Amino acid sequence: MAREFDHLFKLLIIGDSGVGKSCLLLRFADNTFSGSYITTIGVDFKIRTLEINGERVKLQIWDTAGQERFRTITSTYYRGTHGVIVVYDVTNGESFANVKRWLHEIEQNCDVVNKVLVGNKNDCPSRKVVVTEDAQRFANQMNIPLFETSAKENINVEEMFLTITKMVLRSKLEMKERQNVTSKDTVHLKNNIKTKKKCC
Amino acid sequence: MNHDEIKSVVQEKFLSSERVTAFLCDAKVLHPEWVKKDRLLAIVEYGDEKAVFCLFTSCYPPKSFTDLSIEIVLPIDKSFKCEIDNKPSDPEAILYLNLQSRSNKYKFEIQMTPRVDTFVDDLFRGIEAVNKVPTQPDFVWLKKYSGKINNDILTHTMSIPGGVPHTQTSAPVAIRESLIKHKMSDKEYEYTFTKKFSIFCGTWNVNDKSPVIPLKGWLSVDKEPPDIYAVGFQELDLSKETFLFDQTFREDEWYNAVINYVDKRAKYVKVEKVRLVGMMLIVLIKEKHYSHVRNIVCDTVGTGIMGKMGNKGGVTIRFDLHSTSLCFVNSHLAAHVEEYERRNQDFRDICNRTRFVQPNQLPKAIKDHDHIYWLGDLNYRITELDPVTVKKLVSDNNFVPVLEWDQLKQQHKNKNVFAGYNEGEINFKPTYKYDPGTDNWDSSEKNRAPAWCDRIFWRGQNVVQLAYRSHPSLNISDHKPVSAIFNSSIKIIDEEKYRKVYEEVIKQLDKMENELIPQVKVDRTEIDFGTVRYLELQVRTITIKNIGKLPVEFEFIKKLDETNFCKEWLIVEPYKKCICAEETCEIQLKVLINKTSACKMNAGTDKLYDILVLHLYGGKDIFITINGTYQRSCFGCSIEVLVNLNMPIKEVPVGKLIELENKRDQCVSNQSTYSIPKEIWFLVDHIYLHGLKEPNLFEQPGFHSEILQIRDWLDSGSVDPIPGSIHSVAEALLLLLESTADPIIPYNLQSVCLRASANYLQCKQIIMELPEFRKNVFLYLCEFLQEALQHSAENGLDSKTLSTLFGAIFLRDNPNQTQEPQSRINKQVIDKKKAQFVYHFLVNDHSDLIFSR
Repeated sequence: MAREFDHLFKLLIIGDSGVGKSCLLLRFADNTFSGSYITTIGVDFKIRTLEINGERVKLQIWDTAGQERFRTITSTYYRGTHGVIVVYDVTNGESFANVKRWLHEIEQNCDVVNKVLVGNKNDCPSRKVVVTEDAQRFANQMNIPLFETSAKENINVEEMFLTITKMVLRSKLEMKERQNVTSKDTVHLKNNIKTKKKCC
Repeated sequence: MNHDEIKSVVQEKFLSSERVTAFLCDAKVLHPEWVKKDRLLAIVEYGDEKAVFCLFTSCYPPKSFTDLSIEIVLPIDKSFKCEIDNKPSDPEAILYLNLQSRSNKYKFEIQMTPRVDTFVDDLFRGIEAVNKVPTQPDFVWLKKYSGKINNDILTHTMSIPGGVPHTQTSAPVAIRESLIKHKMSDKEYEYTFTKKFSIFCGTWNVNDKSPVIPLKGWLSVDKEPPDIYAVGFQELDLSKETFLFDQTFREDEWYNAVINYVDKRAKYVKVEKVRLVGMMLIVLIKEKHYSHVRNIVCDTVGTGIMGKMGNKGGVTIRFDLHSTSLCFVNSHLAAHVEEYERRNQDFRDICNRTRFVQPNQLPKAIKDHDHIYWLGDLNYRITELDPVTVKKLVSDNNFVPVLEWDQLKQQHKNKNVFAGYNEGEINFKPTYKYDPGTDNWDSSEKNRAPAWCDRIFWRGQNVVQLAYRSHPSLNISDHKPVSAIFNSSIKIIDEEKYRKVYEEVIKQLDKMENELIPQVKVDRTEIDFGTVRYLELQVRTITIKNIGKLPVEFEFIKKLDETNFCKEWLIVEPYKKCICAEETCEIQLKVLINKTSACKMNAGTDKLYDILVLHLYGGKDIFITINGTYQRSCFGCSIEVLVNLNMPIKEVPVGKLIELENKRDQCVSNQSTYSIPKEIWFLVDHIYLHGLKEPNLFEQPGFHSEILQIRDWLDSGSVDPIPGSIHSVAEALLLLLESTADPIIPYNLQSVCLRASANYLQCKQIIMELPEFRKNVFLYLCEFLQEALQHSAENGLDSKTLSTLFGAIFLRDNPNQTQEPQSRINKQVIDKKKAQFVYHFLVNDHSDLIFSR
């Protein structure tokens, strides 16, 4: 029968202002890139549908304003999020230093959520200041997958979104399985009680 | 607004003779461009005639009939159809209403509510009623609503600006699935290739015989074994039992014979076998292809006795091979030389009545297949030629002149039968009628002309017939078997390419969906009001342009934990509206610091800063930052702060002011404090000196501009005389008293005061216990008011009016205290008590209180 999708996931992109959050979304959803910088004043979203292992996953990806003054407001958009993409700019050390704050923000506003760390603008080695090794070490520490991407050159963007989507999908399926197991257990217990009664 | 109120608004859209009998306010029309749009549906009755109206509303719920515009008019006439189905994913909550009137079809999505039942009932009553009357109603009354009711209403609808786009959770693109299907079939050539399959089709009327001879000469005579066998038999068994009970041992006999004599060079498996009385069809396929066979379905249609029985008719097998659908029909059409019209009819009946039912799919007919192979004893004869001539010509293999008189060739040419089908050239002798066991023409008395009863037709692209022949050596029947070999192109999907194309299509649809997300351009997201002064309204405008493809509804929404979408000193107009595509909307932002907000600004508990969230329904949120600098004024300062200020407030640093406000409870009199605020003194003294005899003192309002001048005069400590009229000064005084953070009599004493209001002594007692500066102000003002009452002859004041006015000021209600809404009577009682409290001090001599200091 006709079905539009099997899963609907909400992903959130956060990180300092100017690290390329909107560009990552634009690249992933529309496969376009615009060099001119327009700062996001608010919260925008786009959708994209993927098929993973034969299951149709519809992603609603929210792009948030990175500016400090909006932080309290944007934190309200974390609710109901399945996955968070934390972005820094590999040519901007401060944006990497602030990743900790963003991770803290996630902890404050979400329960359990899948995360990926993304170093964007990885297309100009001479300007790169956040070296891969440091970022990788930090990511390992935090137990978060790291991706170095370029929305401009379309490097690693698809892979990154695919990974977070798969993580979210896996979490959902595992959760379902756990629930199934528990419900089986309950049935099992009931059966036990019955047999016990018979014994008596 | 409740349902009935909305209904009456909808009713206003129509004449009073046109009655709205039912309506739904949350319908969504699914437009041909797959976009959901919110609409109202109404059933309107005029006399015996009813029509369904679909209305667009510019605001929801509609407040006036001018908000509504009629978009679609569907008269409930005899052509009107209504079908209801559920949303498969959500059968409880969502209902689809398919309405068809004349040639216009509409689909509406409707939220399940109890009202839906009423609506649908009414709809069906209308349909029943119209089908009972013998004549078609003429619906003259509808002409005014749609002059072009017979034109394509769809196009007319499209030009009307749409309604509110769908909400966030579900996509604005509906019926995405069918779009994907459509797009994929458009691009089929990109991911499919074709492969040739050889197909053997054979037909034999066996005239009630058992397979006592080998069939090799029929089934296995070609160079290469075919990929598919489709073998049809007629008159397998002519016994009454078979006819009545449809059972025969011949089925297995002939089936096994076929299996035994198919080409041994390849391995075949059965696709399907189907039999109706004497008609049997067997389809076999090479084993290696079997895994690509799907959706095998068969059907039988009897067209014999009474047009139903299975002595004549057709049996059919359909299946999909890779991506091509195949259909094989074996038919035995009506007999007798002259009955060609009946044969044509049998063909049509088989076409019309054969239905392949598959789970979760619409039933398929024969014509719905890519390749159709139709074989059988079609029973068409040779007429107009005498049997002797026919026999002579065919014995010379001169078939062309005979075939000119073949009924089937004639009927086919005139498209009375097998229209769209092909038949190959006939290069074989007629297959009927022989003396069984021989190749001799029928020697019975009837002496009929031989005929090509047994034929094979096909239909479909890329099907080539390689051979069409009879097999005279198989002579047990009065018919000879016939066969044809086809070389057919079967479409095969390249999985890899399919995936790529599919992903492309999905991306395209996603892009489309993204383009349909509401988009607006806001000209400014940061609004700086500059310097804002007390009671001075400032206005800024922002422009929102709808740059998306659909109408968009915006609303300023609350941030988490906040009760209002903006601060109390800000007014946003409009805060909610629908903008059509390409259109703009101007929003006015007004800042006004008044008596309730000034004290918070002074105390630093609020500042001129806010972030508004402009929400687009089904789309993004835009943050709009509001900024400004408030110039602090004595208005909004506490009494305790003012008595501490021995310089104009303009010269007081902001930090000092905030500190004083925050410590106002600890304020005690010392040498540097005034006993009452100098601002109050200035105003009172001015009235005392110049205005006690002013008619309508405290009753006639002042001028706003003058009040602002007085504000500046007080704040800057000017040495000039107070500007403005007495009335403006009086109003400024009242405003000053009302703007303080706390009223003269603290909130916590208010209920005590009200209880004591009848008793002067108790009232006096309360005043005695007031904080020092409040008491000073209170008594000072009462003294002044007593003075003013001395001149009541001139200024027209009376103690009642004054005590009411000042009662409300001295005993101001606490705005922060969320009280249960006061009833009018209750409020009057309280106001009276407040006035009574003050009244005592206006009529009694309370100099004892003053001197007790």
